[in-house]
Amino acid sequence: MMRALKIVVAGVGGQGTLLASRLIADSSIRAGLPVKIGETYGMAQRGGPVMGNIQIGGEAMNPQIREGEADVLLAFEPVEAVRRGVYLLRDGGLALVNSRVTPPVEVISGMMKYPDLGRLTSLLREVTDRVVSFDATALAEEAGDPIATNVVMIGALAASGELPFDEETVKTVLRESLRPRYYDINMRAFELGKEAYWKAFH
Amino acid sequence: MSGHPVTLDRPGEAVLLMGNEAIARGAVEGGVSMASAYPGTPSSEIGNTLALVAKELGFHFEWSGNEKVALEVAYGASMCNQRAIVSMKHVGVNVALDILNPISLRGVKGGLVLVSTDDPSQHSSRTEQDNRWLAKLNDVPVLEPSTPQEAKDYTRYALELSEKAGLPVMLRTVTRLSHMRSDVTLGEIEGPPRRAEFDWAGFSYRVAGFERLFRRHRERHEKIDAVREAFEGLGLNELKLDGGERVGVIGVGFAHTYVMDAVRAMGLKDRVAHLKLATPHPLPERLVGRLLGAVDAVLVAEEVDPFVELHVKALAKDVAPQVRVHGRLGGQLPREGELSHKLVDSAIARLVGLESPPEKRRELRARADEMLFDRMLTLCAGCPHRSTIYALKQAVIKVKGDPKKVVVNGDIGCYGLAHAPPMSFEDTYFCMGASVSVSQGMSQAGVESVAWIGDGTFLHAGIPGLINAVHNNHPIKVVVADNGTIAMTGFQTTPQSGVTAMGEPSKRVMIEDIARACGADSVQVVDAYDLEAAEEAFKRMLRAEGVAVVVARRLCATQAIREMRPSRPVPYLVDQDACIGCKLCMSAFGCPAMIWGEETGRAIIDATLCMGCGSCAQVCPSRAIKRREG
Repeated sequence: MMRALKIVVAGVGGQGTLLASRLIADSSIRAGLPVKIGETYGMAQRGGPVMGNIQIGGEAMNPQIREGEADVLLAFEPVEAVRRGVYLLRDGGLALVNSRVTPPVEVISGMMKYPDLGRLTSLLREVTDRVVSFDATALAEEAGDPIATNVVMIGALAASGELPFDEETVKTVLRESLRPRYYDINMRAFELGKEAYWKAFH
Repeated sequence: MSGHPVTLDRPGEAVLLMGNEAIARGAVEGGVSMASAYPGTPSSEIGNTLALVAKELGFHFEWSGNEKVALEVAYGASMCNQRAIVSMKHVGVNVALDILNPISLRGVKGGLVLVSTDDPSQHSSRTEQDNRWLAKLNDVPVLEPSTPQEAKDYTRYALELSEKAGLPVMLRTVTRLSHMRSDVTLGEIEGPPRRAEFDWAGFSYRVAGFERLFRRHRERHEKIDAVREAFEGLGLNELKLDGGERVGVIGVGFAHTYVMDAVRAMGLKDRVAHLKLATPHPLPERLVGRLLGAVDAVLVAEEVDPFVELHVKALAKDVAPQVRVHGRLGGQLPREGELSHKLVDSAIARLVGLESPPEKRRELRARADEMLFDRMLTLCAGCPHRSTIYALKQAVIKVKGDPKKVVVNGDIGCYGLAHAPPMSFEDTYFCMGASVSVSQGMSQAGVESVAWIGDGTFLHAGIPGLINAVHNNHPIKVVVADNGTIAMTGFQTTPQSGVTAMGEPSKRVMIEDIARACGADSVQVVDAYDLEAAEEAFKRMLRAEGVAVVVARRLCATQAIREMRPSRPVPYLVDQDACIGCKLCMSAFGCPAMIWGEETGRAIIDATLCMGCGSCAQVCPSRAIKRREG
């Protein structure tokens, strides 16, 4: 059996993280690979933290990823990247991080300050030097709808070469799973995500 | 056509399904003609899926008025030889318990499966109660799957078992399984609909006689004994026992996955025997006895309570008194909260005399924790409940002089977040509908309160309380936060929706009509986004003599945006010259779309999140918040 690819998807309720996990898993099934997703949400739509654990292939029965065993962190928000990354990402794993901040009610109501972005990133860098951070929400807005942030992130993931299937598989799933009237927006979002990943290495 | 994988007639094909979707597929494969449910996390996707596919597959699905009604509706179909499935969250079974008891005594005709989705660690519940006790209380057999594939297969089997045993069967899942997704191989869909016929001999007093049907405790015992016998030889339970092991582990349902992963990760295959137990009740005692007779110690891994552990302990006393039984009772696993790899790894490691795996990056994680916030839950941007709570709080301050002069008794739903900062205007919440009734006891004691309840919850369990208030002269004040949907669980219909779960039009049952019919002395309906009108209505309510009800109505903001797509709402903006930087919009109102401009000392609106409700513009003392042009 192939070695499992373990991906942690981290974000905030309402960001489309659950759909992102599902699109990755659907692509795995299309590629003929067994897949498991463990999700935690509840009242997550109300601004709470959301996490998806994806395991493609491998022998584990339980989808939860053990400490320090995730190959990829797909984070939709900087604080959520650190919350999950320092715990779950393996040494030298890949962190793809949306740099757009989603302040919680603690910050909005003035009880706390949002942590310094530089310090957040440096915590992640203690785990891995492969941190790719970019404003995915801005790219989704450029593509036509901020809700497509998840597809921007998937584009970056596809460009990273970590997935055990090709980009066309992902694109086919996007085409089949998302509503047709959003197709153009999502394809633009996907391409912008890919470019963002490439740009990070130039 | 929905195109949902649950509808595919392609046996052998693997599709990606969530545990809850797999249960829905199991019901489809098992040929149910009746499905009912009341939404509640983590059960809701079972109903959502059935609602989506019922019409095209030719069965009935409904969101029933509450869980008791749901089970009763399903039982009616079962007595007429129809297979039925009912799904609800764990606390829903408390509501349904009254009818579960006579069903278990009278028996079933068509297979009847009750799905209870338990919520270990209370991810989205007020309790982590373990419903296997409720099943045992009524001699109801319980099946616990460990994977989405089993969730599907067991649902189908549960329908057959129920029919064969003449008992309702509980399928118990936990949040992690209900919300897990994996590839599931589809099976065949059961043949043509069955003939609908009331089983006169089985259920009619007129035909079978009252005495014959009424005292059935012994018959129920005989049935559950037969089920126990069936579970002894069943393929659902798997025993791996080679003979050389000194330690045995029983993994019940989803907990089995932690056990298997632990044994594999620590390389203990030769040292640990294991029993995968899918049937916690009734316990297959001979099967468990085989394990007990072969090892020195047994660990029971199960979610929430030591239900199996207790029964295994009792059994061991008779069949293998020298065996030590470990688990949540013995302290090797915690008494509360869900299991994890770490907990099960450590418990098994200790049992075989190994060191627990070390914790990684302890110091780094401690430094990270110092920087992070919890991310408290909050109402969405533009949520009408926020506007309603704000107006209610203002009215209480103005009429009573102090927000603490009134106890706010909340209820179950998104609006329960009224307790959270910055609104912090809710004191209690308990269970569906309780706000209306506990307020009456407070009123009788001379303490002023407001019942704060949502539309769905009022229709589920608030009405008897309101009738009680009128009948017993309790002058309570009730605010119904009516956002037109059961928002917290994913926008299910309510009796007020005017449409059924299957999309058929139906007569709208309006809350104000019910309130009047119950005899409330005053009933007002206001637009939640009109803060001034809402505040005036609340002032009148607070000053009213008798039972007063205000319905604050406005469609859920998230639902409104869904209906708007692909167009987007026109956001508001803060006139940076007019803003005085008082932060009232953030510190008192706290919509997530408000951002503080650190450099400018002025508030800004996040145009991505703003849904254009305009409530903050009414809160702003300097009228600096304005609608963006076009």
